[in-house]
Order: sequence, then C-alpha cells, then structure tokens
Amino acid sequence: MDCCQLLPDCVDLGLILVGQDGRIRVWNRWIEERAGLSAEQAVGLTLAEAFGPHVDPRVALVVREALDFGWSARLSHALHPMPLPLFPPGGGRAERMKQSIDVTSLPVGGANQCLVQVRDVTETVRREALLKQQARQLRADLHRLTRAQAELQRSEMRFRELARQAPAGLFEADAQACCTFLNERCEQLLGQELVAVAGTPWINLLPFSEQTRVRKSWCQAVESATRFSEEFRFTRPDGSYLWMRAEAGPLRDESGRIGGFIGTMLDVTELHERATRNEFRANHDGLTSLLNRDRFERHLRAAISGAREVSDRLALLFIDLDDFKGINDNHGHNAGDTVLKAVAGRVRRVLRSEDLVARYGGDEFAVLISGAGDAQNLDAIIGKINQAVAMPINLGHCHVRVACSVGLAVFPDHGTDPATLLNHADKAMYCAKRTRCADSGSSAEPV
Amino acid sequence: MRRFSELEMDALTEAFNLSLGEAAATFSAIVREEIELSVPTIEILSRDELTQRLESVQPSAAGDRLCRINQQFDAASGFQTDALLLFPEHGSLEIVRRMLGDDTPIQQITELEQDALAEIGNIIINSCMSSLANLFGTEMRGSLPRVQSRTARTLLDDKSDSDVILVARIGMTMAAHNLSGYVLFIMDVPSIESFMAQVGRLFRLPEQDDSLSP
Repeated sequence: MDCCQLLPDCVDLGLILVGQDGRIRVWNRWIEERAGLSAEQAVGLTLAEAFGPHVDPRVALVVREALDFGWSARLSHALHPMPLPLFPPGGGRAERMKQSIDVTSLPVGGANQCLVQVRDVTETVRREALLKQQARQLRADLHRLTRAQAELQRSEMRFRELARQAPAGLFEADAQACCTFLNERCEQLLGQELVAVAGTPWINLLPFSEQTRVRKSWCQAVESATRFSEEFRFTRPDGSYLWMRAEAGPLRDESGRIGGFIGTMLDVTELHERATRNEFRANHDGLTSLLNRDRFERHLRAAISGAREVSDRLALLFIDLDDFKGINDNHGHNAGDTVLKAVAGRVRRVLRSEDLVARYGGDEFAVLISGAGDAQNLDAIIGKINQAVAMPINLGHCHVRVACSVGLAVFPDHGTDPATLLNHADKAMYCAKRTRCADSGSSAEPV
Repeated sequence: MRRFSELEMDALTEAFNLSLGEAAATFSAIVREEIELSVPTIEILSRDELTQRLESVQPSAAGDRLCRINQQFDAASGFQTDALLLFPEHGSLEIVRRMLGDDTPIQQITELEQDALAEIGNIIINSCMSSLANLFGTEMRGSLPRVQSRTARTLLDDKSDSDVILVARIGMTMAAHNLSGYVLFIMDVPSIESFMAQVGRLFRLPEQDDSLSP
C-alpha cells in the first residue's frame, strides 16, 4: 500500500471522494468510524445508497454541481447543522454529530470528481455556546452593575445636594478628629475651607480654654463608640465668635471598627445669648439692672455661710428714698423711673465691684458688703451713699434732689442669719428715716 | 487597457442583474426569508481607486472592518477571476446572527458564524458565477470560499496593483435589515478583455474599435 492510499486514513477529518459517475471512490477511516459503514461496503455505492435517505438534499445538490459544473461549496454548521447521518465514534446513535462540510470539485483526467470533507464541530459548537452564555451573563451583570451605579450616582447626587442646601453644618471626621468632609454651611461656620483644616483635628481650632474638655469628650465617644455631643465657644479666623453645638455619630468600617464620625455643627449663639438674657432677667431688676430681691437674698445666705467659715464681717445696708411718692405724683412715673435708675447707678459707683447692690422693692435698695471694716469705715460708706444720692437728678425739664435713709446691720454683730439681719437693717433704716424727717420736714424737693 | 463603452457597461449590468437575481432566490430558499438584492451598479476601477473608494465610505476611524468572502474562478473560455463579496463586518454579523436567531453580545465574529458567512458568500458568488457561466456558455471552476476581516486600507493588499477590478455594488435587504455590499471581480488585463468580449457576444454588441483605447 503506498503513501497516497494511507493518507486519507491519517487525517482528522472525514474524506469522501465521489467519481464522475456519482459513486464513492474513497471512504476514509474517519467516515467509517462515524457512519458505521466500512470502506469495503461503501466504495462503489452512491451517497444516497451509503447514507440512506436521511441526507440533507443540499449535500446531494452541491455534490452534483461539483461534478457537473466544477463548483465548490461550503455547508456551514449554522445553516446545515447535521447534514449527514454521522454519529460520534464509540458512542450511541441517538444524535447526529455536528458537522461542517466542504465540497470541492477536482478535475481528474478531463472529468470532475468531487471531494467531500467533513469536520466534526461538536466541540466548537459547545465552546461557542458556552462563550455566548458567558457573554449573555456578562451583559446581564453589566446591565445590573450599570443600573446600580446609576442609582448610586443618583443617591450620591441627592446627598450632595442635600448637604449643599442643608441649613446645618455637616462634617465627617476620622477617629483623630481630622475632617474629611465639610459642607458649605460648615465651612461658613468655621470660617475656613476643608483644605485648610483637613490635616489637623478640628478640636485644635477651638479656643484653648475649650480644647481640653471637648477633646476629652471626643476621645470618650471614640472609645465607647457612642454619640459625641458638645457645645463650645468658637472663634473664627476673622475674630468673630460663635457658640456652636457639635453632634456626631460613629461611622464603622468594613471590619466594624470606628473609622470616624459624621454629624452636624449648629450655630447656637443666639440660643446661648437668649439663655444668658433670660438668666439675667430672672436674677436682675429690669429697670435698674441691679440684682432683684430674690437673688440678693440667695447671695446673702451664701455670703453668711461663707463669712461664718472665715470669720468675716458682712455689712447689710437698707436704703430707702425719702418721699419718692412725691416725685411720682409731681413729675409722673417716668420721672420716678429716671430717679430710680440714677440712684441705682450712683450707689453702684460708690461701692467696690465685689459688693452687691440690689433693688429690693419699689424705692428700696439693699447693699451687701463683704469684708466690712469697722463702724467708722461703714459710716464713711453710708456718708458717700447719702452724698451721691443727694446730688441733683436731671429729669429733662427740671432737676430734682432726693434724699435717702440708710439702715445698717452687721454680721455677726446684729445677727447671724439672713432674717435677723434683714429685720435689723430694716428697722435701722426706719429709725434713720424718722430722725431725718423730724430734722428736715420734707425730703424730695425741686432744685 | 481600452475603455468600455456605455453599451458594454449596460450589458454588463444586465448580466449581473440576471445572475444576482438567481443568487437572491437561492439564498432566500436557504434562510426561508424574503431577501432582496438591488439592481447592481457596475464600475471598472484599479485596485488603488477601489481602496480609496472603500476608505471614504468606510472611515477607518469608525473601527469597523470589512468582511470579505472570496473564491477563485477559472473559466474554460479563457479568463480567471477572484470573486469577492464585501460587507461591513458589523452588518454582516448582524445578518448572520439574525439568521441564526442569536442575540449574543459578542463583538467579534465566532468561528461558526464565520463559517455561516462563508456559506452565504459561497451561495451568492456561486449563483452569480453559474448564471454568468450559463450566459457565456462556458464552464467555470471555483475554489472553496475563504472569509477574512480586514480594514478597507489592507483589504486588497494581496492583489497586484495592475489588476483591474470589476465592481458591482449591491444592496441586500432582509427583514428589517439593510446591508449594502459589493461584489468584486478581480482580473488581470487579458482576463477582463476576454470577459468583455464574451459579454459583447452575449448581447450582440458591435465589435469595439481599438482606436478608442487610451
């Protein structure tokens, strides 16, 4: 057997050579194994005889065209999936092998012969099906991912816009309190942009007096992973100051550790000032801005217990204007108010800043002097008060003079509790007033 | 090479019209779908002229390549030609996938799809050539189809620049898809002379006067 005869059996594709007469000349081993028909049986038969009736008519047609007209043709798997009844070698005959067929016309000795080459594309089909399935899966994944990304973008945009429009300062900081995000409002509040403050803990921006307290609170929040909430005074780079309230909740990273905090900063300056005003109002007289009676008595109690411990002397003075009613009656209540304010100012001025002055009642004032000296010293003070009060008071259209009567009580000489001292001072004041009235007859008079 | 008269070009168009009509019918039968091939427009160009033409229609910036399916033919009556079918790669892929009922989002043409495209090209080219062979009363031996994807610039690199190219532009309409392609016959000068002589005889055109040649 020569080389040319062996060749068809060595190749990994099916070869069938059909002569001009339409009869099979070559039927290689590859075909034998898949058609279940030996070369011995097949050679000499027509294709229809060899394969039976189950052949794609297009195979017969292109073989005919190759023999008659010299044309070549391809029968792709896609358009002709299994044109010949060929089955996987050694396997069952349940399903035909997937094929692709080339038909070539060969001019041999003035006539055409036809070479049919059959390729097994089963593996290619399987691979491409897998590839396509993966491509579809990828497309679906990509679609999902794109949608998720779009949703993320929308939500990011929503957050960004909310953060931009929010009336509160929003900030995010790491565990060391270095800011990683500030919204515009927060930058406004701090008077600085994120880039300027990003490297340092925001607590360092606070006045030194506030830093220790706020830092301690921040560290506690980080350690215990709880909310941080503090109110503090903040001085901006331009010198203006604010009261701010910062509140923040912990942010955890993937491993559950505290990665930082996110929260709000609010300008509470107005609230603070209002509270201060309210507190002042609760403790002071609205007209004269002196302490009110209630507050004065609390101070008195505290001062007595303090003085008891250090054996200090306290002086309590009661001052009552003489014939204040006459000023109200003659000049009106506005004039009365002016007189009260003037008296309050004068009494305040003749005393030390640590001494307390209160408007005790309508035209009654009370004074508490700590570290009171001897009787002579106190007489001098009373004299100064009398003198200051007695100066003319400008009512706009005229001047008036008003005199006052002063009663003195000294701790511990005249009493060791507030009630006794107050009572003593009150009586002393009335005593003084009686003496003065007896001396001058009239007290309040136009100048 | 001499220039061809208007009469000859008309005759050529008619010959292709007949042959491409048969190709469309064969093709429709295989894909079981109505396929229309438009009346071809015929031109004779040099290789470089055609490359320029293709480049202007198919800018390389678009990134789309051209899919070429070619078969060599050898006519007993004395001419050889390389018959090429050209389609934009993207469009041909769409047609093949539509035909196979496949919506896979793969950019590249797969091996089996390339095989199917080879068969489609084979049917159109064989059908066209067979009707030409019939008209000319000659036998034409054809090779197996070969599919390649190339840019317009490199599409004809394997051809000699002295070759003459007979270009038939065809439109292929299938369901909702419109695909415009070219059928090219690349011949050397003796082949095209012989080819045109046979067209002339077929339509009984008057013999050409050699003084017309440039």
